[in-house]
Amino acid sequence: MNTLIEIIRKNILKSKHALKMALLGLIAFSCTDVVDISVPTEAPRLVIEASLGWEKGSLGNNQTIKLSLSTPFYDLTPSPVTGASVRIENVTNGDVFIFEDQQDGRYTTADFEPIINNTYNLEVIYNNEAYTAQETLIPVPEIDRIEQSRIGGSDPEELDLTIYFNDIENEVNFYYATFLEGNDLLPLRIVLSDEFTDGNEMSIFYEENEADAEDEILPGDMVDIYLFGITEEYYDFLGRLIEQGDNAGDPFATVPTRLKGNYINPGNPENYAFGYFRVTEFVNEVYTFVE
Amino acid sequence: MQYLSQLFKKSFLPLFLILINSMLFAQEEYTLRGTISDETNGETMFGTTVYFKGTTIGTTTNEYGFYSITAPEGKYILVVSYVGYKEIQKEVFLNKNTTLNIEIKEDPSLLDEVVITATDGSERLNIRKPQMGVVTLKAETIKLVPAVLGEVDLIKTIQLLPGVSNNGEGSAGFNVRGGAVDQNLVLLDEAIIYNTSHFFGLFSVFNNDAIKDVKLYKGDIPAKFGGRTASVLDVRQKDGNNKRLELNGGIGLISSRLALEAPLFKKKGSFLLAGRSTYAQLFMGLADDLGNSKISFYDLNLKANYEINENNKIYVSSYFGRDVFNISSLLDSNYGNITGNLRWNHIFNDKLFSNLSLIYSKYDYQIVLDFVKLDWISDIENFNLKYDFGYYASDKIKIDFGLSGISYNLNPGEITPSTPTSPINPLKLDQKRAFEAGAYASVEHAITDKLTARYGLRYSTFNRLGGQAIKNYANNQPVVYNQGLGIYQSGEAVGETEYSRGQTIEQFGNLEPRLGLSYKLTDHSSIKGSYTRTAQYLQLLSNTASVTPLDVWTTSGTYVKPQLSNQYALGYYKKFNDNAYSFEAETYYKTTDNRIDYIDGADLIGNNTIETEILNGEARAYGLELMLRKNKGRFTGWFSYTLAKTEQRSFGGIAGGPGINNGNWYNAPFDRTHDISITGMYKFTDKWTFSANAVYQTGRPVTYPTGQFEYDGSSVVIYNNRNASRLPAYHRIDVSATYKPNRKPDKQWKGEWVFSIYNMYNRRNAASITFGQNYNTVANEATRTSIFGIIPSITYNFKF
Repeated sequence: MNTLIEIIRKNILKSKHALKMALLGLIAFSCTDVVDISVPTEAPRLVIEASLGWEKGSLGNNQTIKLSLSTPFYDLTPSPVTGASVRIENVTNGDVFIFEDQQDGRYTTADFEPIINNTYNLEVIYNNEAYTAQETLIPVPEIDRIEQSRIGGSDPEELDLTIYFNDIENEVNFYYATFLEGNDLLPLRIVLSDEFTDGNEMSIFYEENEADAEDEILPGDMVDIYLFGITEEYYDFLGRLIEQGDNAGDPFATVPTRLKGNYINPGNPENYAFGYFRVTEFVNEVYTFVE
Repeated sequence: MQYLSQLFKKSFLPLFLILINSMLFAQEEYTLRGTISDETNGETMFGTTVYFKGTTIGTTTNEYGFYSITAPEGKYILVVSYVGYKEIQKEVFLNKNTTLNIEIKEDPSLLDEVVITATDGSERLNIRKPQMGVVTLKAETIKLVPAVLGEVDLIKTIQLLPGVSNNGEGSAGFNVRGGAVDQNLVLLDEAIIYNTSHFFGLFSVFNNDAIKDVKLYKGDIPAKFGGRTASVLDVRQKDGNNKRLELNGGIGLISSRLALEAPLFKKKGSFLLAGRSTYAQLFMGLADDLGNSKISFYDLNLKANYEINENNKIYVSSYFGRDVFNISSLLDSNYGNITGNLRWNHIFNDKLFSNLSLIYSKYDYQIVLDFVKLDWISDIENFNLKYDFGYYASDKIKIDFGLSGISYNLNPGEITPSTPTSPINPLKLDQKRAFEAGAYASVEHAITDKLTARYGLRYSTFNRLGGQAIKNYANNQPVVYNQGLGIYQSGEAVGETEYSRGQTIEQFGNLEPRLGLSYKLTDHSSIKGSYTRTAQYLQLLSNTASVTPLDVWTTSGTYVKPQLSNQYALGYYKKFNDNAYSFEAETYYKTTDNRIDYIDGADLIGNNTIETEILNGEARAYGLELMLRKNKGRFTGWFSYTLAKTEQRSFGGIAGGPGINNGNWYNAPFDRTHDISITGMYKFTDKWTFSANAVYQTGRPVTYPTGQFEYDGSSVVIYNNRNASRLPAYHRIDVSATYKPNRKPDKQWKGEWVFSIYNMYNRRNAASITFGQNYNTVANEATRTSIFGIIPSITYNFKF
């Protein structure tokens, strides 16, 4: 996606807010409030959170898939689904993995075998309907180094950090990174492609979310960092998901859309499931800020 | 036998003799022509009625004040009348072709009449023009309507009329009869204006001090206009006072303006120079993280004319306006329109008037992002040559015909590194070139005393020219439906076709009939009907809720077809109590083909191949517009109500799949079911005038959530069908009071104070509502952005 917003997104997350405010230009007169607006409710739909991850260097045999139902917009109480049957088949070598119902919405296995670039097929059967999806296990490079600074972000006094990793050359690669700092409840999510930087060292910048201005990052605070290698389709899906997550309070947001994942219900296409099935290699680092 | 011969002698013979007599001495017809202008400043008067008293022989003046009436030789009383002016009656002895220029004077006792003329300029004339769906506004009326921060604004004023609304505060442009913002042809002295707003719709680019009058054609668009399907907003600048030096200006809370007019060339010409500007350093440091910020805009209007002789007059007009933002050291942005027009009025003979114009217009947008070292610029410019003729054939027939050619150059976006060490690579989205031509002829025919018809035809062509490469796609599908994911995605590009500068990529031609009929029921009421077909070859791409300067103009071509629209309208008009009150009702039905729409998640900004983000669709709109006006007395004003529906739909077409919203009709983004405006002006005393307006509109369509699910540690919002919900209703009341001290009535300097309050009860009208998780509480919430709360202001206006 060779677009202006891509370039900006890649280079400066911190100023996306400034850019939007500039486009808005009405800072003098505009006002945002949280309001009590009632919204319609649709019938609950199955949600399959099947994010299979293989931490680099481990066996990757323990995997969990979560099934739940969607709920009304303001109601965040979990709505787990039990009594479904979940299995994954490695289409490349024919292995099958059955996930066991833990009776609380989680379905687990201890026998999973992740193999780079193999294709996996997920099948969930719930209420006599089958939901399937297919993904390929994408590898990820190691995080080369992490550097902290103060001058990098929009606030020259705040601590921030940058992670560096080497892109695999001559391949089209997509990456997904999450950063969860200290006591934050929501992580920062970023997706990147190597379109402009194939084979080069790539970097991702992290700083405290502007909504969290009260909670300054101090030396000793920790950031839990994940880096995933992902497929192009998941990159597109996540891009839209992240953008819609950022939408709150932004009148110049693009028209929001229904985020359908990669699940299909072959017997009843209208009754698809939400969520996304991904199988990725990942690396995880916990970084502690110093003086 | 004898009886018969008696009959012959007494009746047929005299009749026969008279017949011979009249054949030998046939009645000659002569033409009276001239220009009608305003006595105080020499401004030509558009739409003034000129006729011979007691007959149906007459006409209304054209944009340049020209009239021409042809009648049999004889003595007549010529009546010249225009709303708000003293009627002139002058004896004329028509025995040869004569030129008669007349000046008319404003009637002080009528000065407070609301000068909005709906369809015809005069109520006293028996000739009824079949033009319907048109509103004329004079600058004086626009001044009376309270406005944000005391800045009178013609775009805000037209929104108080039925059928005209806008897409929410903070958004640019206006919508007419459910048409999109880019479907309005906005002309300033014949030059196309691409963005009518400063500061995202807060103000318009039209400095009221430089404006003479405005005509808004809502549906029945005359054949001489082409290229847009919803409306034509024809704004004309003043020519300039050709009798004496005149100064107009004002000092307001956020901006000031000054307009200077004076005669030239020993009063054979005149000029107007007007400027308006905000104060620099505005709104500094209002948001902590944005630090040192500046937002400003300015306008410059220029016009000059010279009357070479009775048959030739030349004009030059120009406009230059700019919006400038600086957001601390992060961002510099500016955008604006620039136009220029050179015109030559030439009167070939007493019946044939012509105008030749050479016009230039450009709109550009530039943004420099220092932190990325990036410089982005996009622009659209055009050259236009048009030649229009008006032939006043007889007292029953008037013919308009002409030609127009517009050459377009679009630069959708160019990125250059702003410093030599910038990591940004230059990128240029393909430049697009096109040529649009039109030829038209239209006849206005007074068929009988009661029935007038207008039949016109416009033929337009559009050539998308080469000088770029066009991508080709597998199976000719730039967009494909991905069955698995249930979404539309870009098709697979399989190479390009190179077109050299001399080649034509695509060519289109369309016939656009324009028909109207008007029937006079009584002296005070009439009904009208019209059919209009229009073609539009340019579209503004936007998939955000508001129009932003990053939205880019694009033209018809290989993947985007011209929009074609048909509009049928019917209207009923009635005046009461010697025009103290008037009532108008109009109903319309409009269909538009080839209206493009964006797939879910479309990425338009900076995209070189928008064909991968769109689907072809259609739109339809219908509605009822009612307006009741009180035109005379201490209290004047109007009440307007529009009941309307606008919807669109897109099928999958060659892309496959169900289309947008499953191929069902859904609300267009600017659909407003109810739109009520009440405007009133009350002349309390000679010194004090009060005015107020109240507006109520159904909230605009939006996409609301219908649920949420948990994914990857956060809540993901599930959205409903596109535009299936509505924002809360929009309403507000504005008031203003004007105080004219006038302590020294014989002094030339006149001043007035205008106190106004916008949005008197501080309603927080939602410009948009977005949904998401609260970062700190992780609860889901709705966040409303509203733009203008209560805004009081004071302006001092002066006139010299």
